[in-house]
Amino acid sequence: MSRGALYGLLTEFESPSLLMEAVEKVRDAGFKKWDVHTPFPVHGMDDAMGIRGTRLPFLVLGGGLTGLGLATLMQWWMNAVDYPFMISGKPLFGLPANIPIMFELTVLFSAFATFFGMWGLNGMPRLYNPLFTNRRFRRATQDRFFIVIEARDPGFQLDKTREFLASLGGAVVEEVRESAED
Amino acid sequence: MAHHHVPRLEDTRTTLDGLGPRVVGVSGALGVLGLAATFFLGNAEGDGLRRFGYTYLTSYAFILSISLGALVFMPIMYVTRASWNVVIRRLAEVMAAVMPLLAVLAIPVILLAGKVYGWSDPAVATSPAMSHKAAYLSQNAFILRWVIYFVIWTGYALFFWRTSVAQDASGDLKLTRRLENFSGFALMVGALTIAMASFDLLMSVDPLWFSTIFGVYYWAGGFVAFFAVMTLVTMGLQNSGRLTRIVSPEHFHDYGKLMFAFTFFWGYIAFSQYMLYWYANIPEETSWYLHRSQNGWGKLGILLIFVAFVLPFAGLISRFAKRQRKLLAFWAVWIIVAQWLNLYWVVMPQYSESFTFGPMDATCLIGLGGIWLAGVAWLAGGNSLVPLKDPRLEESLRFENA
Repeated sequence: MSRGALYGLLTEFESPSLLMEAVEKVRDAGFKKWDVHTPFPVHGMDDAMGIRGTRLPFLVLGGGLTGLGLATLMQWWMNAVDYPFMISGKPLFGLPANIPIMFELTVLFSAFATFFGMWGLNGMPRLYNPLFTNRRFRRATQDRFFIVIEARDPGFQLDKTREFLASLGGAVVEEVRESAED
Repeated sequence: MAHHHVPRLEDTRTTLDGLGPRVVGVSGALGVLGLAATFFLGNAEGDGLRRFGYTYLTSYAFILSISLGALVFMPIMYVTRASWNVVIRRLAEVMAAVMPLLAVLAIPVILLAGKVYGWSDPAVATSPAMSHKAAYLSQNAFILRWVIYFVIWTGYALFFWRTSVAQDASGDLKLTRRLENFSGFALMVGALTIAMASFDLLMSVDPLWFSTIFGVYYWAGGFVAFFAVMTLVTMGLQNSGRLTRIVSPEHFHDYGKLMFAFTFFWGYIAFSQYMLYWYANIPEETSWYLHRSQNGWGKLGILLIFVAFVLPFAGLISRFAKRQRKLLAFWAVWIIVAQWLNLYWVVMPQYSESFTFGPMDATCLIGLGGIWLAGVAWLAGGNSLVPLKDPRLEESLRFENA
């Protein structure tokens, strides 16, 4: 039975403290396309992995400013240009009356930018992950901790990386394939 | 976590010791000098302390709002069972527990009520527009309400502070549970009394004007200022070698988030109040804003939109600014000045048709602020600066922002 192309290598740990030491070594070895999977959030993991801050806030700022600008333009065009209509002696384009919509569209576009920006940065939507083919990996949601180095990492060499992972002190090192093994 | 060094209380100093009397002395002296200078300058105006009464009301309302912020902060932390705040909560407890001092400082407001509040003017009090509220807005009812407010606030503040201090010795978990159970009720009572007090203290300066959102407007400004004061006090203690390490950039990040959030909240409320009156355009409602948009007061109002809202909002929006100590200190000082200026704009147009500002406005703020800080330092001196046996202290020490 064909098992598909190589996705990466996986190693398993029994406790977060063993995991953390290994994670720092993977980081220091300079790998880029790798990840850690744990059943619960582990404090200090971002630092240990050397994850840099997300670019998401800048997307949100852009979204917010777009919403603000759009709301201002839209109300000005509708009320002062396209269909001027005098209401209780107010100016056709009076800032106080327009602020609620400016606020709402700022919030709405910020929320869109946050939600869909998060999707984009995380490579979502994604219905299938090759890691699901590995039986051992199912315990990632229960009581085991995993480090996965992907084959597309520029520093990945099957034998050397397997040796490196084995030296980290995990229980096993296994290959992960793109499609199901049985 | 093996990799993570959790700071312990033994790593730092958690008592004021010698610093307490020094702050009480310096700050208290500055306070007395400031108030004496204000009184001298006010007397020199030759208007029977009318000008003095207005500036005193402005700064008093500001200082009071900081303690009221502390008073509301504590029960919010208990009802949400929050842990991040435990390591700095004693500071808030003390800032609320100086309430009896604030009651004493309220005496000049009451004594000068006849010169400051519109309802004490017989011509206004007998006008038809006042007929249905003349009984409420009268000297005796005013004094009675202030007695009630301070009895409630003092009891409430001392209960939180004393219960927390008692736990330092006993470590009894029931004390935390007792405060949690009381906190929901405390929040309701706090919200009602603070709203009513803001009507009495600030809104009734112009007795014909009314705004149902005014209580939130006053409280929100005080709440931002409270977090700014907490930031500066915590930094000051750390600079003197106290609370170092145990209060981490993570806790300052939270101060920053709260200042940011409530700057926006204040702006939202201030605008809500303005917009409804602008839109409805009813003379009895717009008079207050009309008065504050002319003769220089309007320029101050426009300035306030930027100083109290736009600039601190933009300045505190990034994670970087919230975790950068000096930048956070800068915005904390900025917010304190901005919120005081906001109350100046609320109160002073009632004194003078056109914009006015004098040295006594600054000396009065320094005077009342100095006395308030001396009171806080005096109260804080007797106990640990940290709730030693709070069940959530350990979590607070480990606290990390996601």
